[in-house]
Amino acid sequence: MKRRKFVQNLLAAPAVAPLAAQTQTQQQRPSTQPNTPARQDPRQPHEIAQLAVTEVDLVSATHPYFFTADQFSALQKLAAVLVPPLKGKPGAIDAHAPEFLDFLISVSPEERQSLYRNGLEGLNRAAQDQFHTNFHGLEAKQVDTIIRPLLIARYWPQDMPDDPMKHFMAQVHDDLRTATANSREWAENGPAPFTGRRRRFNRGRGMYWRPVDPVVRG
Amino acid sequence: MAIKQHDVLIVGSGHSGGMAAKILTEKGISCLMLNAGPEADLQRDRTMKSAHELPYRGFGQPGRLPHVFQANEFNANQWVDEKENPYTHPPEAPYNWVRVRLLGGRSLFWARQSFRLSDYEFKPAEIDGTGDNWPISLADLAPYYSRVEQIFRVSGRKEGWPQFPDGDFTDSSFPPDTESIKRFTEVATKKGIRVSKWRFAQGRDGLASSINLLLPDALATGKLDIVENAIVREITVDKNTGLANGAYFLDRHSGREMHVKARVIVLAAGCLETTRLLLNSGICNSSGVMGHYLVDQMYGVSVVASIPEARDGKAPENLMGGSAFMPRFRNLSKKDKRDFIKGYCLHVSSGGDASQHFFPLYGEELQSKLDSYAGSCVSAGIFGERVPRYENHVRINKDVKDAWGIPVLHIEARDSENELNLRRDAANTAEELFHDAGWEVICKTDQVNPPGYSIHEVGTCRMGDNPKTSVLNKWSQAHDMKNLVVVDGASFVTAGWQNPTMTILSLSMRASEHLGDEMRQGSV
Ligand SMILES: Cc1cc2nc3c(=O)[nH]c(=O)nc-3n(C[C@H](O)[C@H](O)[C@H](O)COP(=O)(O)OP(=O)(O)OC[C@H]3O[C@@H](n4cnc5c(N)ncnc54)[C@H](O)[C@@H]3O)c2cc1C
Repeated sequence: MKRRKFVQNLLAAPAVAPLAAQTQTQQQRPSTQPNTPARQDPRQPHEIAQLAVTEVDLVSATHPYFFTADQFSALQKLAAVLVPPLKGKPGAIDAHAPEFLDFLISVSPEERQSLYRNGLEGLNRAAQDQFHTNFHGLEAKQVDTIIRPLLIARYWPQDMPDDPMKHFMAQVHDDLRTATANSREWAENGPAPFTGRRRRFNRGRGMYWRPVDPVVRG
Repeated sequence: MAIKQHDVLIVGSGHSGGMAAKILTEKGISCLMLNAGPEADLQRDRTMKSAHELPYRGFGQPGRLPHVFQANEFNANQWVDEKENPYTHPPEAPYNWVRVRLLGGRSLFWARQSFRLSDYEFKPAEIDGTGDNWPISLADLAPYYSRVEQIFRVSGRKEGWPQFPDGDFTDSSFPPDTESIKRFTEVATKKGIRVSKWRFAQGRDGLASSINLLLPDALATGKLDIVENAIVREITVDKNTGLANGAYFLDRHSGREMHVKARVIVLAAGCLETTRLLLNSGICNSSGVMGHYLVDQMYGVSVVASIPEARDGKAPENLMGGSAFMPRFRNLSKKDKRDFIKGYCLHVSSGGDASQHFFPLYGEELQSKLDSYAGSCVSAGIFGERVPRYENHVRINKDVKDAWGIPVLHIEARDSENELNLRRDAANTAEELFHDAGWEVICKTDQVNPPGYSIHEVGTCRMGDNPKTSVLNKWSQAHDMKNLVVVDGASFVTAGWQNPTMTILSLSMRASEHLGDEMRQGSV
């Protein structure tokens, strides 16, 4: 019998339990051992009110730890420049996109991790070579001198450039935009997201599929 | 308690298995359906969420579904988990195998584009002298297509063109074309390219699935039992008769191994899972072609234009919106000489936005460009025909096993020069049409996704009249074992440019009717 139907039948069970249910009741009799869970009545959960819980991002901040301080400061600078606040919508810094990407990259495949690390170091190196400071300390015009030659048009979004710095710029730009548009801060600031009706990664709200009858492996 | 016996064991519950169950049970034949995954409860298993409520802010868990481009963090749990159920491919030749194991299979999620194959696909050797014929023609399958189109409520416009056979449409009404689509139609027609409309399965309540259109009818007969979470790993054979007589399967949760007996086995596990099961069982491959001729369609070529007068939000009323569909127009006659054989369909939609990737800009500059182009774009894409080739194949990789200890598939599929030239032609043609329409082309690529991306994999147990060169006969029965029938896309000989599901459903209906009749007569 299907689980769902099984539960429905259980709820509608007659006063005299059928044999199978009786057997179950016996098996579930509370143990005399201490520290064993009490027997559960399947009807109880429906009668207990759901408690309100708070979303983690409302009460705490992501603790970035993956990038070095220099790398992270370069990422923050990029975030501020590539995705600034526009038309009343929060920018990448307001959306804590750099902190989120520190986490995301920390759990990503190694290839993505080195792309980011090398890319951020590359920006710091270029800043030192050309302006004798790190990337974070640059003026907007100086940043533009470094990053504009690294931007390319991509007609095939998966088609990343061979040059590692251009590849990094394309990736981090995509990631910062997505991390910003998918943030709580963005959602709370009205509907009009980045222009683009057909968004590949379903920004905003969507139908989420929970794991369906997952296998639990010990 | 006596174990209930069934006449037919059906492996898989998608479009193909659902259709087999409906036809056979309606003929009074008892069926047992085993499905590898669970039944989803659409109330319990789905909920609305915002991207920021998801653990990875909508990016998805990195590395979880590397081959499923259609996956995102909202829908990740609907696909087969690639760690639990892996497959292998050469590192330089990725293959995208997109699977669903929920009850109903991929019929829960398909995009419902619904086309018939034509005799250009069924009889290519006769018509254009390239490729192998099917043992059946459009005329053989047409009555079944008609019945399937009625069940799935397919809408479309009748045209009378041989490369785009009309269906028995339940709805042929379309809103009038917008000015941009009229303009496009004009320039395409001048170039001899015929323009039509999408054909689409309306289904019921937004779903055109086996779970709402096929399986309820089968269950209503009282002749069908469905077991979920039952992973079939081997078909068993009676040593005396040499015929299939049942299957071993594993309970998905506990791994408990079970055996079930049946007079007839119907395989509907999806083209590649069916092939994996047959290869792992070591049966029905006296021809040696099982696993070969894997083929699907090319997706990816993309050309986008912007209509200048529609920019900056100034599009006049009725300029933008709507779509056009151009069925295959290349190589329809022998006079058409190109550097490739076969063809592609072109589809165009109007009223979209420009992608951020088109512009090497950032910050405010990028945003104002995107704002300016918003809603002014017309985009073109293709479904391109791939030619079935022996060397594109799957085989068992004994060194890698899934979470249930079943050896996995190794998949090798590569494009040839023909595919490369075809997609170049497609990109150039779309660009030319947009130029002719007077629009600014802002994106053009002839790149395509890796094989498998279209989710239309077919061909690895091809049908044919000759048992030496094919696995199945024209009724989808194995040449080597008449009581084993394959009703999914594995039986295809060519894929064409058309999405395959209408053909899968019609073949399953035809094979099941024939099987039912043979069972009645006692010849199976
Ligand atoms: C997003 C998406 C969009 C699509 N769009 C279109 C479209 O527009 N038009 C079109 O024509 N087609 C489209 N398709 C393809 C279409 O869905 C498939 O062609 C069709 O559904 C295949 O049906 P099937 O029954 O052969 O296989 P499936 O739907 O794959 O069903 C196979 C079933 O077999 C079961 N199974 C597998 N292995 C085992 C085993 N070992 N033991 C027991 N059970 C097993 C699985 O659980 C599954 O339920 C699309 C697919 C997807 C995913």
